[in-house]
Amino acid sequence: MSQNRWLATGNFFTSYKQEQRTFFTHLDRTIFTCFLVILFGWPLLFEISNKYMLVLDNILIAIVAVMGLNLLLGFAGLISIGHAAFVGIGAYTVASVCQVIGENHVIVTHFWPVLIVLAGLMGAAFGAFVGLPALRLKHLYLAIATLSFQMIFEWFIQFMSFFNQGQTIYVGRAHWLTGQVGRSDHYLFWYYIILTIVVILGFGVRNLLKTKYGRCLVAVRDNDRAADAMGMNPGLTKVYAFALAGFFAGVAGALHAYLYRGVGFDSFTLHHSVAYLAMAIVGGLGTLNGIFWGPVAIKYLDLQVEQFSELAGHYLTYAPNVATALKPLSFGLVIVLFLMYEPRGIANWWRIVKSYTKLWPFRY
Amino acid sequence: MSYFFQIVVSGIVVGSIYALAALGLVLVYKSSRVANFAHGQIIAAGAFITFFLTVRLGVPIFFSFLASMLITFFLAMSVERIFLRRLIGEPIISVIMVTIGLASIFDGLIYLTPFGSENFSFPDFLPTESIVVGGVSISWTQLVGVIITFVLIGAFSWFFKKSTVGISMRAVSDDQFGAMSVGISVPRVFALAWATAGLSAAAAGCIIGNVTGLNFETLHAFGIVVFPVVILGGLDSILGAVVAGIIMGLIQQFASGYLDGNFGLNGTGDVMPYIILLIILLFKPHGLFGVHEIERV
Repeated sequence: MSQNRWLATGNFFTSYKQEQRTFFTHLDRTIFTCFLVILFGWPLLFEISNKYMLVLDNILIAIVAVMGLNLLLGFAGLISIGHAAFVGIGAYTVASVCQVIGENHVIVTHFWPVLIVLAGLMGAAFGAFVGLPALRLKHLYLAIATLSFQMIFEWFIQFMSFFNQGQTIYVGRAHWLTGQVGRSDHYLFWYYIILTIVVILGFGVRNLLKTKYGRCLVAVRDNDRAADAMGMNPGLTKVYAFALAGFFAGVAGALHAYLYRGVGFDSFTLHHSVAYLAMAIVGGLGTLNGIFWGPVAIKYLDLQVEQFSELAGHYLTYAPNVATALKPLSFGLVIVLFLMYEPRGIANWWRIVKSYTKLWPFRY
Repeated sequence: MSYFFQIVVSGIVVGSIYALAALGLVLVYKSSRVANFAHGQIIAAGAFITFFLTVRLGVPIFFSFLASMLITFFLAMSVERIFLRRLIGEPIISVIMVTIGLASIFDGLIYLTPFGSENFSFPDFLPTESIVVGGVSISWTQLVGVIITFVLIGAFSWFFKKSTVGISMRAVSDDQFGAMSVGISVPRVFALAWATAGLSAAAAGCIIGNVTGLNFETLHAFGIVVFPVVILGGLDSILGAVVAGIIMGLIQQFASGYLDGNFGLNGTGDVMPYIILLIILLFKPHGLFGVHEIERV
């Protein structure tokens, strides 16, 4: 039977090899390529102010971090309320290198890819260490263990004079092939770098989930005893899931350090951990495209709330800091409403749209 | 030596407040298996309602104390009814996240009022001079706070041991299906558990507000710091909450009394509970008095 490689009405796999393909139809591949071309190409066509470029960079960094959290929470089913601390570990790895050898040392400015990977590995090491209680604990207890890691991290950073007591530690400007990246190109440059990293890691996650190392995560989430009986080691798998999440968070932290050219303690508080959780949940747990929807939605909400509270500040005479009030309020409402009415997140809407258009002219 | 006893006294004061704050968390967890991350916000709400009634409306403090307990009683009950009841049977991460979301909503609502950003303190209604016994001093506010705490804890324990409602709550926490089969309305018990938790939170909030002054940040921080307490005591044990609260208060005061300033350390009082929490979770995850129900993987 010759298949239509452009449109598929269902799954007709006859071998595992076919199922492991990245793109099932040519249409998928084309759409994805167009999408990537647009993402990489648009800054060449449109001018955008640095402020909004920074927002985009932030979204991309959050995507990297949420990738890790979604692996941990959505695919491995382990709760972490300390994700911002792992991001902080990554950022402070870069910061401590800067503290030791100086912020403008050639290693910091020229070999930043090495430092980003190093930060990822550092995050993974800490992730595995914090994941150790997962050998014995489940659910709520694990959540509280990660919570306490978050609090200890915050205390440690504020206490150590090596980390400047949580005050900003500066990180030098990165160099590219063309020399030092200037002030005006800074955000654009990092947009491309982070976008590339997101694409690479995104493919990495997608492929990981098709191998036994990814599937064992899902197996352990669904039923750890059954997974044990099938020859997986649930304890080890959980620690490994934490290490994976830590790696992604560490990379995100290093990117954050380079993007802001400094590391301060207030970007890695409990509040940020909750924000990452919210992004993962709003996007859709256990889905790949949810990784992208969540950060976009939450950051967009943040931006809108900021603009709205600026507007409200003009009209209200009594305005007790509307922005500080509306941010948590809208944020909490979004979390609660999503969990109550759409627990599968935005990814579910995407799924509905996709299944509608898949068979579009010839619906059943 | 009087320094030592001074620390013991302040440890007991702080600890008994922890015990009262932890009580609400344990109540909710025991009956409905929900860890309430919004508990600190309910504590803050209770404290601010009392303050508002006493200072702005001029109600005598004793009545505003009771009134705020009543208001948070219904507040917590409606929170359960509106948000948590839909989530019965959902995965635990959803339930945890809903309470975190609720905490965020409460944060936003309190920031909208002037209470969110400013510091207040209750008017003095007790003698301001301290009682000094053998070099150890305790203020009247602290003493009355501790006494009220223990009276309330005693009342709650009596309520659970003897009253019909309390017994039905214990029955639900033991076995939901069993409780249903003898005619106990499980959703009603959940609502009541939340309501009593709200009530105890308001009491805790008032006492904290009187002892340390009213500041939203400090008040809602109690919602997080009670987690080490309840884990140490065992998540579903009221006795555990009380004992662990006092132990945690003592540890915290001893840490900040003896460790800070020595060995180049500072702020150890804030981090000590979490270190203890990690140790407890690694070696004795069900706490001192909790039920052994943790599965090994």
